[in-house]
Amino acid sequence: MPSDAIRTRGLTKRYGTFLAVDHVDLDVPAGTVFGLLGPNGAGKTTIIKLLTGLSDITKGEATVAGFDIHKDPMHVKQNVGWVAAEVILDDDLSASENLWLQAQLQRLDYWKGRAETLLHYFDLTAYRRQKVGTFSTGMRKKLEIALALLHQPKVIFMDEPTIGLDPATRQMLWELIQGVHREFGITVLLTTHYIEEADALCDNVAIIDRGKIVASGTPDALKESENADVIEIETKQEVNEAQLRAIPGVLAARSQGRSWLLRVSSAEEVLPSLLAVVHDETVRSINVQKPSLETVFLNLTGRRIGGSESEGPVDFRKFYAQMRRARS
Amino acid sequence: MNAEDRSAELFVISAPSSSSTIPQGRQFTGLYYREILKTFRNPLVLAITVAQPFMWLAFFGSSFSTVPLSELDALLHTQIQSYLQFLIPGVLATSMLSIGMFGSMSTIQDKRFGFMKRILITPTSKATVYLAKALGSTTRGMVGIPVMVIAGLAFGVRFSGDALMWAGWAASLVLLGFGFSCMFLAITASSTDWQTPGVISNFITMPLMFASGALFPPANFPGWMQTISSYNPVTYAAEFGRGIILNGQADWTYLGYVGIFAAAMAAIGTLVAARYLRVE
Repeated sequence: MPSDAIRTRGLTKRYGTFLAVDHVDLDVPAGTVFGLLGPNGAGKTTIIKLLTGLSDITKGEATVAGFDIHKDPMHVKQNVGWVAAEVILDDDLSASENLWLQAQLQRLDYWKGRAETLLHYFDLTAYRRQKVGTFSTGMRKKLEIALALLHQPKVIFMDEPTIGLDPATRQMLWELIQGVHREFGITVLLTTHYIEEADALCDNVAIIDRGKIVASGTPDALKESENADVIEIETKQEVNEAQLRAIPGVLAARSQGRSWLLRVSSAEEVLPSLLAVVHDETVRSINVQKPSLETVFLNLTGRRIGGSESEGPVDFRKFYAQMRRARS
Repeated sequence: MNAEDRSAELFVISAPSSSSTIPQGRQFTGLYYREILKTFRNPLVLAITVAQPFMWLAFFGSSFSTVPLSELDALLHTQIQSYLQFLIPGVLATSMLSIGMFGSMSTIQDKRFGFMKRILITPTSKATVYLAKALGSTTRGMVGIPVMVIAGLAFGVRFSGDALMWAGWAASLVLLGFGFSCMFLAITASSTDWQTPGVISNFITMPLMFASGALFPPANFPGWMQTISSYNPVTYAAEFGRGIILNGQADWTYLGYVGIFAAAMAAIGTLVAARYLRVE
């Protein structure tokens, strides 16, 4: 197996006129956890579909586990596992039957011992004959990961693995992802829009927005490159941009209506001067952030990872007023 | 056993296989068995599958109960002991028309719940998924055959023919059911709408049921319906079974015709599915 478990060059996917994935180059070293971090709709799931052969590539090249996804999709599929965001199992079948089916689909000869071990590892042995439809969300997630591991894949794709899970299950899953990677050297590619997840789990992160990779590197390197605090300030009245830029320590200012995004050398030093320029009574909200993957994304795109796709913040006051008028 | 010991058992990374294609037998078996498990685990499905042939014979079979046998012979252009005897091969043949609906519905369910992604992320081809669904549907439809024969016996119908002929008759129904399942699944390969299978079923079943020799003899049809009937495989499966049951005579060319129909549908459908079967 080459040193890169996943390698893409110019990976592109177009749906009609919509460019879902735009010339993405990825190099995921074998045995690492790689995170695709970005907001909903950024193209993360589409990249997984392209790399697992579920969707056809419009343009570009991709190699997964040493096989070309264009020329040899079946061997790619033999070497990858998949954990879906929405937990996909056959609810009418038992846990054992789901594992049996997975063994058939992956053409495994000796799998029963490993299936037993996996069930034991995930505390599912006592429930193995129960229909999966009766399982809790956490149990379903565990079984889905057991299915993904059954055939000893070289690469596991995890699409938003902790979405919708309670904090305890999320913690369990984080430990599991780290364990799988540490103990067995399996390469994990996970997508997430949780900053702390990317930060805690990933050796390398690529930040994706609107189908494009906008930054990549280790989480620490990305944060270090940031080297600036971010102040978000929303005002009731217009503020003069030149005045903001003139404040000592302000490196950059970006306007989103009456909301401003300021990159500053040190928030503690800049805030007094800022509040002198923008008078206290006109401030609607103010938010200070130290360098994080969130601020990296914020500075690159002007939006938050957890924010909406629309430009600028939603004016809820205006929205509520419209709703009240519509009701009367 | 501690966590490390347990996890150490889980993985032995093996070298990739060097062949470029992956055989599909195991995947087909798994998917087919899944269809069967899901179908026959539902007691209501089983109960209705068993009850339906009795209802056909009780209601439809009684339609001519007050008509004298000699008049029925003239109407049906054959010598019969009861209308039920004429009807049973026809009803079994027409019941094969709509069995593809089940495979089609199960495919749409897999697409909508994402299970199709789980299948196709493994080394399983779309053609394998398609053929497993078609055979699963066919198997489900086959339950009706012994039940209908038993129902016929319960209603006092006398059956002719030997074991070989009966095996041939059963084969003709399997091939007919498989052919229509293949046709059905190919038509709905790209669909994700729950309503489609029902609509397609009505669209296929109604004309092909009546424009066949299954329920009434084509000799009474207008010319255009006779033409459809003469190409309709339902006619051949019904006539093949009827020859055996009424007279103990099997026209094996009819079985061959139904076999060609099934093979053609499977070949066309496999190509269509490989190209158009949607993942979600």
